[in-house]
Amino acid sequence: MLFKIALKNLLGARLRTFLNVLVTAFSFFLILFMSAMYNGMLEHAKQVTMDTEIAGGAYWHPEYDPLDPMTFEDAHSALPGDVQSLVDQKKAFPVLVSQASIYPGGRIMPAIMKGIPPGQNIVNMPTDALFGHDDIAIPVLIGKGMASDTKLEVGDVFTIRWLDADRTYDANEGTVVHIMDTENFKLDMSHIWIPLKKAQTMLAMEGEATYVTYEKGLPPVLDKGDWIPRDINYLVQDMEAIIAADKPGAQVMYIILLALAAMGIFNAQVLSIFRRGREIGTLMAIGMTRPRVVGLFTLEGGLNAVLAAVATLIFFGPVLWYFGVYGIPLPIDYTEMGMIVAKRLIPVYTIGLVVSTTILVSIIVLIVSYLPSRRIARMKPTDALRGKAVA
Amino acid sequence: MENNAVITINNLVKRFPVGGDFFTALKDVDLKLNKGEFTGLVGPSGSGKTTLLNIIGGLDSPSEGQVSVLGQALNDTSHGDRARLRREHMGFIFQSYNLLPVYTVFENVELPLILNKVESREREEKVTQAIEWVGLSDKRDSRPAMLSGGECQRTAIARAIVHQPALVLADEPTANLDAENSHHIMKIMLQLNHELSTSFIFATHDEKIMAYLRRIIHLDDGQITEDEKIKNPKTSA
Repeated sequence: MLFKIALKNLLGARLRTFLNVLVTAFSFFLILFMSAMYNGMLEHAKQVTMDTEIAGGAYWHPEYDPLDPMTFEDAHSALPGDVQSLVDQKKAFPVLVSQASIYPGGRIMPAIMKGIPPGQNIVNMPTDALFGHDDIAIPVLIGKGMASDTKLEVGDVFTIRWLDADRTYDANEGTVVHIMDTENFKLDMSHIWIPLKKAQTMLAMEGEATYVTYEKGLPPVLDKGDWIPRDINYLVQDMEAIIAADKPGAQVMYIILLALAAMGIFNAQVLSIFRRGREIGTLMAIGMTRPRVVGLFTLEGGLNAVLAAVATLIFFGPVLWYFGVYGIPLPIDYTEMGMIVAKRLIPVYTIGLVVSTTILVSIIVLIVSYLPSRRIARMKPTDALRGKAVA
Repeated sequence: MENNAVITINNLVKRFPVGGDFFTALKDVDLKLNKGEFTGLVGPSGSGKTTLLNIIGGLDSPSEGQVSVLGQALNDTSHGDRARLRREHMGFIFQSYNLLPVYTVFENVELPLILNKVESREREEKVTQAIEWVGLSDKRDSRPAMLSGGECQRTAIARAIVHQPALVLADEPTANLDAENSHHIMKIMLQLNHELSTSFIFATHDEKIMAYLRRIIHLDDGQITEDEKIKNPKTSA
């Protein structure tokens, strides 16, 4: 019975319902869109990291700690049996990591020098740019960010100094053979990439590596010596830590959006309900009980939310779809700020996001419908009939 | 005779808080109304007519005294019970019609039946009949905004009588109407009173209404000053 009356009220009050639904739908859209943008950002960051850096996982030399450059000096050895087999089968590739100093334009800069096989195709890096170049002492691949920091361009020559396995400093000329445009700042900032064989020779670490990255879907190997297996979950934990650290910020954003939505809906509902004092008095006079009055208006709010969900789909669905497919171009290159952010951000709408947003907005609408209707239903019917204002 | 009583009021006092004090709207009111009466509460503004009507309708509570309506002592009943009493056995007619603006004539009249959970086919029949009684069959799909004052009040009457209540309470039902519409409406209510034995109580100071009443209870300053039986009231004819 209440449902029928609520539906009639809602459909009957054409303009009022339209405005209420529009406010709710807009809030719905904003929350959904902003959350999807955030999801898209995180998803993209994870995807880029996996695509360009992690692949299926890695085996690390036991001394290797990517966050502590001091460990690089000792973090190298020949590959354990099964790990070497993976490399031989081209299911994995080794990387040799070392500290270095570079002297671009006469300045000294610390750098992380990584030797990588130019022929690898396990991670999405333009390492094939390192092929050939027999006439060059050290062919170097750098990222756009590094190029910008060092003011280096393709063909530029600069000095590289390193400490080899015999703890002897050595130096030679490096030539930039390619500048890669990568979204993964971890491959770019302070990094110089050179052919693995060249690195092994320079460092006097023939046949040795610091870590091995393997392709997706491989089972763990048995003979890995004392090398430490690092699966995807471990390798993305930095990223997840950044996400987790960013979560309170995102939650604050989400709460602000929800609060804005709630205020908009509350305002519309309060205006609507309090303006209907006489109607409530009339309903009471013809025999509607207080709980039913509250139920009726709360139900109207609930139906409002349902209509708002439909309206969001109709009015804002094409907008959400468009951005979901074509993305949103970002005006700033966030890579320079040490963030993996796509130049064209694609919002990700997950079922969880849509369902949780729908539930949340519905709950808010129900609460903001319930509160004023409960208050007005507490009025004496005679006051409500007179359209007396609620304090 | 006691079984025939629709309303019994003893020593009714109603006080309203005003600032830090109380305003006494009704003082020591004793009243008894029987089934089928066509009665008016008459008096100047502020005499307590509407307050008495609201208390009879269970919309307001007495400060002192006993009020029994249709066999139920209102002093002892909950909000819910009073709402049920109104829903099942009473009809209300207001000065400003109080129609729900988003509903059509049909839907406004249908509302008490929906609240009483009347089955839809029966609802359709009863609403059609009530609309016919008040002569609004051609307006059944119109909204209140599209109706004249007289048509709105006729819709309100149809809503008040559609569930054939034992008692109809009308608060200044003709105050916003011209003479022709006022007479038309009074004739409709008189006819319903005859055909359905519905008891009517009007709060009014409209002379046009008084001509139709068979009993006039005069109120002044919250007290009944005269209880007048009219020997030759105006009839529908």
